[in-house]
Order: sequence, then C-alpha cells, then structure tokens
Amino acid sequence: MDFLHRTFSDVYARQNNWLTRIDVRVKMLYVISLLSINLWAKNVSVPLFFFSVSSILLFSIRIPFMAILRSMSLPLIFAILILLMKSMHEGERVWFSASILRYKLVFREEGFFCGLHTGSKVLGGISLVITFSFTTTISRLCAGLTWFRVPNTLVELMAFMYRYIFLFVDEVATMWIAQKSRLGHTSWRKMIPSLGLLCGTLIIRAFDRAERTYEAMYVRGYEGGCILTVALSPWRRKEYIFFLGMVLITPILIYMGGLGLW
Amino acid sequence: MGFFYFDKGDTLSRIVTILSLALVLFFAAANRAYAMHITEGILPPQWVAVWFAVSAPFVGIGIYHLKRKKRAVPSYLPLVGMLGAAVFVFSCFPIPVIALNGMATSHPCGTGMSAVLLGPFVSVLVAGIALLIQALFLAHGGLTTLGGNIFSMGILGSFSGYFAFKIAQRCKLPLFWCGFLAGTISDLFTYLGTSIELGLLVINKGGSFLKATAEIFGVFMMTSQGVLCIVEGAVVGFVMVFIYKRRPGILFNLGVIRDDTKSIET
Repeated sequence: MDFLHRTFSDVYARQNNWLTRIDVRVKMLYVISLLSINLWAKNVSVPLFFFSVSSILLFSIRIPFMAILRSMSLPLIFAILILLMKSMHEGERVWFSASILRYKLVFREEGFFCGLHTGSKVLGGISLVITFSFTTTISRLCAGLTWFRVPNTLVELMAFMYRYIFLFVDEVATMWIAQKSRLGHTSWRKMIPSLGLLCGTLIIRAFDRAERTYEAMYVRGYEGGCILTVALSPWRRKEYIFFLGMVLITPILIYMGGLGLW
Repeated sequence: MGFFYFDKGDTLSRIVTILSLALVLFFAAANRAYAMHITEGILPPQWVAVWFAVSAPFVGIGIYHLKRKKRAVPSYLPLVGMLGAAVFVFSCFPIPVIALNGMATSHPCGTGMSAVLLGPFVSVLVAGIALLIQALFLAHGGLTTLGGNIFSMGILGSFSGYFAFKIAQRCKLPLFWCGFLAGTISDLFTYLGTSIELGLLVINKGGSFLKATAEIFGVFMMTSQGVLCIVEGAVVGFVMVFIYKRRPGILFNLGVIRDDTKSIET
C-alpha cells in the first residue's frame, strides 16, 4: 500500500508559494475554462501549450520531477497507447509497415495525426488537473465548492471521506504487513480470504469509528449542520488581476484552439 | 473509429497485436493496471455533456436520500463518510492478476460492496466523490470524464451490484454467494459501461457501435479485468461472511440483512 502514501498526498498543496496563495475560486475558474478549451481544441498546439505551461508552473514552485512524472505516467501511457492504436487502425495513407512475429503492423498517416490530437488532449487536460491538485488543499477545494453553491451535503461527505482515507490507509498498511509476515499472502487460496478479512475488519472499524466520531461531534454541538470551517476571504486586487487575465487570455486561446493548424 | 476498432483486414492478427501491446503497456504502467476509468481528454465535448446529463439525476437523488436520512439520523453522514473512505481504500488494494501469475496487480472497484452496504443511490454519490478524489489526487480518470466515469462505475456498478445482491438474497443463496454475485456483476457492468462509452465514440465516424463495444469489452476481459471481477466477487463474499460472523448488527443496522437474530446460511 506504500504507493498510496507516495502519490496520495497533499504535502505539496500545503507548501507556501505563489500558486498555493492564489484564491481557490480563481484557480477553479481557470481550470474549468482551460479544460473546456482543451476539450474543444481542434489542434495539438493548445493542449501542448497547456502541458508546457503547467510543467513550467510546477517546476517554478519546486515540485520534484519524480512527483510530476508519477502523476503523469499513467495518462502518458494512455496517450501513447491511443497514438499507436489510432495509427494502426485509422486512415488510408500508409506511412510505413513492419512485420513482427509474422504479424503485419501498418501505420497510417491520418490515424497518427488523430491519435496525436487525442493524446495531446490527454496530456494537456491531465497537466491542468495536476497543477490544480498540487497547489490546492482539499479544505480549500471544499470551501471553493461551497462558494460555487455545490450542495453542502456533497461537500461535507467529500471532506469526511478525504479526512479518513489517510487514517484507513495507515491502518490497512499495518494489517497488510501483519498478514504478509504471517504468510497470509503466500498463495492465491490464502490471499483472497486474507483480503476479505482485511476489508471486513476495515468496515467494522469504520462503523465503530463513525459512532465515536459522531459522539465526539455531538458533544461539540453538531446536530447535522455544516462541518466546514474554512472561510474564504473576499477577493483582493491580486485575485481581480488574475481573473482579468483569464478574461483576456480565454478568447485568444479559444481562437487558437479553433484554428485547423498544428 | 475508437482506438480498439478494427476495420477490414486480418482481425486475428490485429487482436493479437493489440493484446500484446496492451500487456506491454500494462507492465510499463508500474505494475498497476487501471482500466475502468476513462482518462481526461478522451471524450469529445458532446459526449462529456451527455454523460454529465445522464449522471446528474442519479447524483441529485443520492444527495436527496443522504440529506433526508441526515435530517432523521444526524450520525448518518459520518457513517457514510467513514464507510465511503473504507470502500475507497478497499478499491486501492493491489490485487495480483492471476492470469499473469501475480506479476502485475490491478485494483477492485468497490462499488458492489458500497451499494450493498449503503444502497445504490448513496453509493452513486460515494463513487462520484471517490472518482473526483482519484481524478484530482491520483490523476486517475479526469474532471471532464467524471460524468462518464460516474455512469459506468457509479450508476451501472452500484445498481447492478445492489440488484444482484437482492436477487441472490431472494433466491435464498448463502451470504457468501450473494456478496460474490454483487461484487462480480458490479465489476462486469462497470467494464461494460466503460466499453459502451468508448464504443459510442465510433458512431461519429461511421463504425459499428456493437462491434467496437464487444471488442473493447473483450480486451478488458482477456487482459486482467475478467479475472479481477471474480476475485473481487470472492473478496466481497468473504467480507460479508466475516462481518456477519463478527458483527451481524452492522449488516442489520445498514439494512443488508433483515433480522440479526435469525441465523443465515453463510
């Protein structure tokens, strides 16, 4: 379970840098509008522009290259897979063909460009999302969602889930090691019941913890209302400047994205 | 055409090529396979809108259910949050792929179990939040594909798992098999949903939707996910039996079983 500790962490979002200091509402507006532009882009330039700018921004706030690569690796593989699949199965004009183990692979030009387009959208979109997640804590995100009138129940549930995921990951990691050291994962026949046992224990603990947490919340005055405590301050000059920047940049990006160029 | 769609030519050779390619990429992906979520940027704008429109009513009803229950029982929200977190962690369990002799791992969906424990509508909500957290913090799935992923994993996964469990209970199957069917069928429907969403992409380009969907689903099942469905089903079955033996009151309180005093065959 150690991969979760490595990837599922908000340690970078808690750092103090110019990107984390930007108001969450501005970042949300940016991400939503840029993702929409990325989605509608008819060329690869705009998604690749998003990818490059996001990478520069992440490096500028000293996010380690390995952390970025870890987050990007899976989408990157998807992008390559799409590129290969489309190259092999779409279009008429043959670029080149090769024979591997008696199977003939044919790469076509139209498919390659189509695959490149979709692959660039994957990269552009994911880089925008990880830039947002590396610079925004979940509590700020919840506060932002509340400001955008997302139902309180949904936001509270998200805050609850996120808070307890880390705790359960720690508990599961301990139980996982204990099971492994007692030869609980040596064969298939042992592993499946062991996983069932582990998950069953997790559910029972979750149930017990829910009761204890509710009691603790009740004595502190909780009666089913809002549990979020982060309050967002009114926009200052900096936020207005960022917002104005977005208003100016968006039409240019929409125009660029609509062009049929590369 | 979708990326697994084959036109004229030697279909067999293409399937073999794709399968080998899928396996190579499968290993390249740091020995973890994530196949049930559509990644950011794959779906075109019109399908993004369609899947958000399809998912929104279910999420809305889920919120309504949760709100109503929260008003009646204030401890319900912490309970759903806690169980949701537990199911999320369960969905991150690295399950070795039997077909590859454990050389690679995959992960379960967890929606079958959450649907059985929390009911289908609240499970859609939990799945939606889990997908949002995964998209933001694991770059797994995406924000524009959230609607599509909620449809496949949240809606299809939850409802199929829930009804499979209820039908199995009606047929008086032992609790293990009820859980097994919920876990397996929920997974199968999740992959079917993803295949449908990807298969629909070929319609714009004049391809055959059914053929593309069947091929994508076939690739899912043949690589790792077919076995994973069965493994997840078995794990959910063991979980149900374990909770029933240790703390039957939990299943009774959550409405999974009707009477905790009456003995159930496990």
